[in-house]
Amino acid sequence: MRTNSLLPRLLIGAYLVVFFGYLLGPLIVMSITAFNSPSFPKMTPWECLTFEWFDVLARDERILTGIENSLIVGVGTVILSVIMGLSGALMLTQIWPKLRATYYTIVIAPILIPGVVLGISTLVFWDRISIMLGMSTGGILHNGIFLTILGQSTFIASYCMLVFIARLQRFDTGLTEAALDLGATPVQAFRKILLPFMKPAIGSAAVLAFLASFENYNTTTFTFGKFPTLTIELAQKVRYGINPSISALAFIIIVLTIIGALIHEIYRRRQQLALANGAPVAAVSGGFQLPKIFRGNPAAIILVLLALGGASTIWFSQSYSPGVCKMDVREQKRLIQEERIKEIRAKRQLELQQKQLKSPDSSGDIKSDAPVTQSPGKGAFGNVFDPGNLDKAAPKSETEKPAESPGKGAFGDVFAPKNLDKATPKDD
Amino acid sequence: MTKGVDVDLENVWIRFGDFVAVREANVNIKGGEFFSFLGPSGCGKTTILRSVSGFLEPSDGKVRIGGKDMAGIGPNKRPTALIFQNLALFPLMKVWENITFSMEVKGASKAERRKRADELLDMIALPDQGDKLPSELSGGQKQRVAIARALCAEPDVLLLDEPLSALDLKLRQHMRTELREIQQRVGITFIYITHDQGEALTMSDNVAVMRAGIIDQIGTGHSVYNDPATPFVASFVGENNVFRGKIKSIDGDMALVSTNRTGELLARIATSAQGKMNVGDSAMMFIRPEACNIAEDISPAANRFTARVKHEEFEGQIYNVFLEGAEGKEIKMSLVNVGKQRQSAEDNNLTLEYMPDQAVVLPAGELASE
Amino acid sequence: MNIAQLFRDYFVKNGIGLGTFLLVAVLFWVVILIILPQLSMLDFSFRHHLPPPEMGGPKDTYTIEHYKYLVLGAPGADTSYNVVDLGVFGRTLLAAFFVTILDLILCYPLAYYLGQSKGGGFIRLLVLLLIIPYWINEILRAFAFRIIFGDSGLINEVMLTMGLISDPIDFIRANVALYAGLGYAYILLMIFPIYNVIESLDRNQIEAARDMGASWWRIHWRVVIPYAKPGISSGCTMVFMLSAGALAAPQILGGPSSLWFTQIIYQWFNTGGNWPRGAAFAVVLLVACIVIVLGMMRLFKVKIGDIGK
Repeated sequence: MRTNSLLPRLLIGAYLVVFFGYLLGPLIVMSITAFNSPSFPKMTPWECLTFEWFDVLARDERILTGIENSLIVGVGTVILSVIMGLSGALMLTQIWPKLRATYYTIVIAPILIPGVVLGISTLVFWDRISIMLGMSTGGILHNGIFLTILGQSTFIASYCMLVFIARLQRFDTGLTEAALDLGATPVQAFRKILLPFMKPAIGSAAVLAFLASFENYNTTTFTFGKFPTLTIELAQKVRYGINPSISALAFIIIVLTIIGALIHEIYRRRQQLALANGAPVAAVSGGFQLPKIFRGNPAAIILVLLALGGASTIWFSQSYSPGVCKMDVREQKRLIQEERIKEIRAKRQLELQQKQLKSPDSSGDIKSDAPVTQSPGKGAFGNVFDPGNLDKAAPKSETEKPAESPGKGAFGDVFAPKNLDKATPKDD
Repeated sequence: MTKGVDVDLENVWIRFGDFVAVREANVNIKGGEFFSFLGPSGCGKTTILRSVSGFLEPSDGKVRIGGKDMAGIGPNKRPTALIFQNLALFPLMKVWENITFSMEVKGASKAERRKRADELLDMIALPDQGDKLPSELSGGQKQRVAIARALCAEPDVLLLDEPLSALDLKLRQHMRTELREIQQRVGITFIYITHDQGEALTMSDNVAVMRAGIIDQIGTGHSVYNDPATPFVASFVGENNVFRGKIKSIDGDMALVSTNRTGELLARIATSAQGKMNVGDSAMMFIRPEACNIAEDISPAANRFTARVKHEEFEGQIYNVFLEGAEGKEIKMSLVNVGKQRQSAEDNNLTLEYMPDQAVVLPAGELASE
Repeated sequence: MNIAQLFRDYFVKNGIGLGTFLLVAVLFWVVILIILPQLSMLDFSFRHHLPPPEMGGPKDTYTIEHYKYLVLGAPGADTSYNVVDLGVFGRTLLAAFFVTILDLILCYPLAYYLGQSKGGGFIRLLVLLLIIPYWINEILRAFAFRIIFGDSGLINEVMLTMGLISDPIDFIRANVALYAGLGYAYILLMIFPIYNVIESLDRNQIEAARDMGASWWRIHWRVVIPYAKPGISSGCTMVFMLSAGALAAPQILGGPSSLWFTQIIYQWFNTGGNWPRGAAFAVVLLVACIVIVLGMMRLFKVKIGDIGK
């Protein structure tokens, strides 16, 4: 871009700030709410730095089962979609030319068909099949996992196919011919030549498929049956009452995403570096030279900073207890409250005094006010005054708050390695 | 090494829909021969090669290798190995894995393969390069690896599809010699595809010249160059000056051709046309630039003609003199540089002479487009 | 070439085992997962709403009652047309169109900026930042907007504190949150197709146009936009389809008074319990989307092959 003068540069800068503010702002806000103590996720007013929402999250059975279901569905979808997508892409290069356009339209259509339609059609179709076969409603054809994998794979396979087509376009069919010519059978040529060439694409298609499956809602919401995935659970929580444990989950996912993206970036950079040096990738990645990787590589530096930050956060969370702060806030609020009550009392008294002159029988007002404002045993005192929060905070289910159940460290096992594994499928 | 076997094409036709890529090809290639198909791009020579290697089945006719009909036998079952135009080295495999791929698919052990790879790497003068990737090799090195890979399969017939076209001139000339040497060493049949007549003439025992799916002539490089069978061969193989005219008289194997601009010229009737030409037929007469010379005697004769010099070029070992010919065409004469400064004859008339048996007469026909 | 020959060639080329495997995988996908379910849904939408035991019985005949319902409403209703459902249907398409335009306006400059920059660390960082939100769960993204736009959300709190307003503004009811959330959800699907196309545009073309004295808007109008057309229409198609078919964002961010058409479908399948009617509505949504996409492709003269590039 040739932007010599100052004004266009400023405009571009402002535009970029607005755009990325729109893009990243919500995520940042949401992340911050994970550390604020009010029981409804909010950034303002800031009350206390707390880690209790991670604890709440780690003990949420429904979320944990949801993650488990999501993983099962994800793995199934990845396998099915990658196989079908790869087959579909390979078929495209071989199909009868007159049929090619029709074929392409059919296999690309699932991307454009609304997700709800895919979910409904999958549900209806297998229901009909099951009735036709005279199977009971508890059979495999009504199994939520089975239906969800099929429904998601219908369109995720199309995404995978696009990845494969892009890679296949760079494949020299002469290589397969050369292999055949040297005596390989078609299957050997496929396994030893085409498949290794497609390997990076298979990797990215698998990651893509897993992510798409993991976050799918529209299709899954019709097919999940008795096996709600994480996304379904989240949607239900978000719709019927929330606390910041959702924010905590979002924060974890965001951090994992950033780490995944950075690792990917470093890997790509290393490959480019290797390519530029004319050396094989193995030579560069084999000799682990720390300075070289960091040289002019912001991604690596950010990753290290992130790791340090994460470690210190964990350490901090072990030693820091928000209890004191909460007490303070509660105390503060109580003081404010009392002050207000005093004010009101004073006012009322004044009014009373004035009123007493007219009607002597209205002192009960003051007493009926006081118990309401002083009743809360929980920290979220201030919210009661917030008219908007009353209805939202109310339906919060009690099952989400067994925070007092003992056994684990203050932080729960959100950061325990095995849970990290569960929540970071994109890293493996 | 295995001894080369015969490759025979019997009345082979190859069609793609309505398009005829190869028309009635009849070729007999002897075992151990270096045989080239020479022709411009799109003439069907690669198609023939693919039918020999098994990627294509002829629509009609038979391909025999070692006397055995190859119909229905896939490329992986034929005793042929093909060197691709772009070499098609497997980019993700190391050099030694590339070379011994044919053994890998037959289940040979790694030690065996390693050993064979080292032998072949020695043969192609690339010792200790086995652990590199193809992308780390130079063009000429890749070339040799491709040859080694093909030879590793111990084929009876080696097929080469313009393998030198991607190399620069110097390397190309070097590889010609090397290929010829390898062929003589291993003694198997080589079938070579090229559009470069220099390559075909220097390496081959026999050459087939192709035009638009038709084989015009099969013969040694010498006969193709000196005794072309068609105007196309005459004009495609090497440079040639064309003179159009009508046969005025025939005397044995010599004919007198009357041309518009350069008068009556005497020339030998090409072997393929002998006994087939009559007085009054339209004919084409070809004289090579190097067959022309400046005439000492400028009196008219049937082996002399006069034309105005348009321009001259000095090319090092030769001078090229371009004279005005019929229909705006130029007549080219090449004179060997004998070390003396040549007096330029530009814009002057010059009389050239030639040996009549070095000029060829053919029935008029299609020329190779420039 | 005849079919038998074609199959023979195919199996010669791939081998029996691999060839069969590929064929089975593709047929399973195309027939069992794509075509038959859609046909089955279509068929189902013309059936009466019956309890399971009666399915396939004498009462299981074809009917257009569900489509009739969508257009005319329940028999004996006050109005002669189903104003509610048709209104939602129209409003959904209109809002999706609006979201598409919003995203296009927002994305085109950035796609152009990224596409025409010479790369470098900063641009790579921007691309990375673009991708990260897309990896976050759709529900969570919608949830983030709820935190921001809620009654006691960030914007209201900030404005209240600053004294700009005295009462919280109901962004949810005004659908501001919904549009912001929808636009946000599919922004990447707009930006990347355009970015990919513009990246391949030769910078010299722009230089040449500038050299000939074209103003910046003329350069875009005559050079860049025509070139980027496949990317633009591909992005618009995807964003439109996904917005019209969105369910999560309207459920979480939609105001109580504004339903999305997919929500109605959802209700027929869940609380409503009338599957054939839901299927009929889904068919209508599918057909409408296909018609609109084909129309857009015709209008912009873009082929289906450009989608997804």
